[in-house]
Amino acid sequence: LTGGPEPGDRPGVAAAPGLVEHFFRHEYGRLVALLTRKAGVHHIDRVEDAVQAALLAALTAWTAQGRPDDPGAWLYRVAHNNLIGELRQTAGRLLILERAVDAEAERTDSPATAHFAGEVADDMLRMLFICCDDAIPRESQLVFALKTLCGFSTAEIALRLFTSEANVYKRLARARDRLRDSSPDIQTPPLDSLKSRLPNVHAILYLLFNEGYLAAHAEHAIRRELCDEAVRLATLLAEHSVGAVPETFALLAVMHLHAARLGARCDGMGGLLLLEEQDRSLWDREQMRLGAEWLSRSACGELFTRYHAEAGIAAEHCFAPSFEQTRWREICDLYAMLERIDSSPLHTMNRAVALAEWQGPDAGLALLQAVAPPAWLVNSYLWDAVLGDLHRRAGNLEIAGRHRERALTSAPTAALRELLTRRLTTAA
Amino acid sequence: MPKYLFLQRSLPRKPQQPSPAQMQEMYAVFNAWKEKFKDNILDLGGPLKPGGKVVTTSGATDGPFVEAKEIVGGYMLVSAESFDRALEVARECPGVIMPGSSVEIREIQEVSGS
Repeated sequence: LTGGPEPGDRPGVAAAPGLVEHFFRHEYGRLVALLTRKAGVHHIDRVEDAVQAALLAALTAWTAQGRPDDPGAWLYRVAHNNLIGELRQTAGRLLILERAVDAEAERTDSPATAHFAGEVADDMLRMLFICCDDAIPRESQLVFALKTLCGFSTAEIALRLFTSEANVYKRLARARDRLRDSSPDIQTPPLDSLKSRLPNVHAILYLLFNEGYLAAHAEHAIRRELCDEAVRLATLLAEHSVGAVPETFALLAVMHLHAARLGARCDGMGGLLLLEEQDRSLWDREQMRLGAEWLSRSACGELFTRYHAEAGIAAEHCFAPSFEQTRWREICDLYAMLERIDSSPLHTMNRAVALAEWQGPDAGLALLQAVAPPAWLVNSYLWDAVLGDLHRRAGNLEIAGRHRERALTSAPTAALRELLTRRLTTAA
Repeated sequence: MPKYLFLQRSLPRKPQQPSPAQMQEMYAVFNAWKEKFKDNILDLGGPLKPGGKVVTTSGATDGPFVEAKEIVGGYMLVSAESFDRALEVARECPGVIMPGSSVEIREIQEVSGS
């Protein structure tokens, strides 16, 4: 994503001279990936410590002596030396380490060799695939990727995922335990052997994006960073032979087409806007262009995946000239396809909403009556909000009122309550 | 122009490690501060490693660091036309704002004849 931090995002902080935005955070991810390949996954803790120490050293040295010409090479050298020192001291003379050291001795003269873009992408993606080990619970996979690849601290992850630091710490520990136990021969697996994990990688990137996108939260800028990171990693994947498949392209199309509308969802005072209230001229043309481009690249091969269906739906919304002129029929069809690929009452509910726009509220309600919603859906504000809206428009005001009350009670944020109040009390 | 020694002190407990994003911010803030007071900063000094020895006529011992409430964590040399100006340099130093840390300012006595 092209958008930098918004004005007022971090007031009073000067830009770091000569460094691009997120330089430290992204260098952290790059160096952890690179050194993990050299030292092995089971040394991930030491690798992270070595990289952290190198960044701290940079803070002091660069302030005192000025920034080096190639900050990336500088950090690599220091982190690498930290790691070798640490491994020599604590890990004994394991053969695998000796090999890592020897291989490294050859290249310390020209650290720039570690900076070929292809090699960096290789290392980053290998790390991403390692994060997506089946033995690691998905929730742990996500925080582990945020920590190692995106360079967020435990506290920063907790803030972005609305959870406690202790919880993030626990999830990280679970991932690390698993990797520490991994047998030595899979410590630095070749990238091609990890290809079977591609569906997991897609799922994690999708989850990462949604964590940023779905949040109805006032702290828009920090959540946006999650969307940016998801796009960054997905782009890396799409441009690499290991991930250049239609499914990845479709996933990127979903991300860009959603991101296009991200800025227009808020009213400028932290409130949320309904789709029909949004000013479509504020939608990000560049994101729409990128989304359309990935969507057309995704239209090949045999498989029509859930990401293809979701990209199709997002594209229908993005390229509709107005809310009224939206092609609801196509959207209904796409939701039906999505249900066939990935059966979920949530998708049926979304289809009912589109159907109500196309054929009227009674058609939507009829579809919902056939759904036996699971507890998680009944207890979420979404189910009541949709039923409340459709009943109101169908003229069943008493039932609508009951759903409205329930929706308002379970809405998780003030911004959402505000939006629901507006939506559910408008005269039919 | 008078010279001053800045001694940065902090609580002996290990401070929480800053995140990469915070480090980039600190780098930016330090640079802005250094730029603002570049005429005053003679030697940016640096952080001091923990541990050390105290040498007396009766030998060398581990320092009294373990019991100390605060330990000296870093030093710096500053020149300023007045003590007030030195105070200003210290007050805006990003190192001071960290919780539990302080800067002691001592004017360096000029040796007569120099």
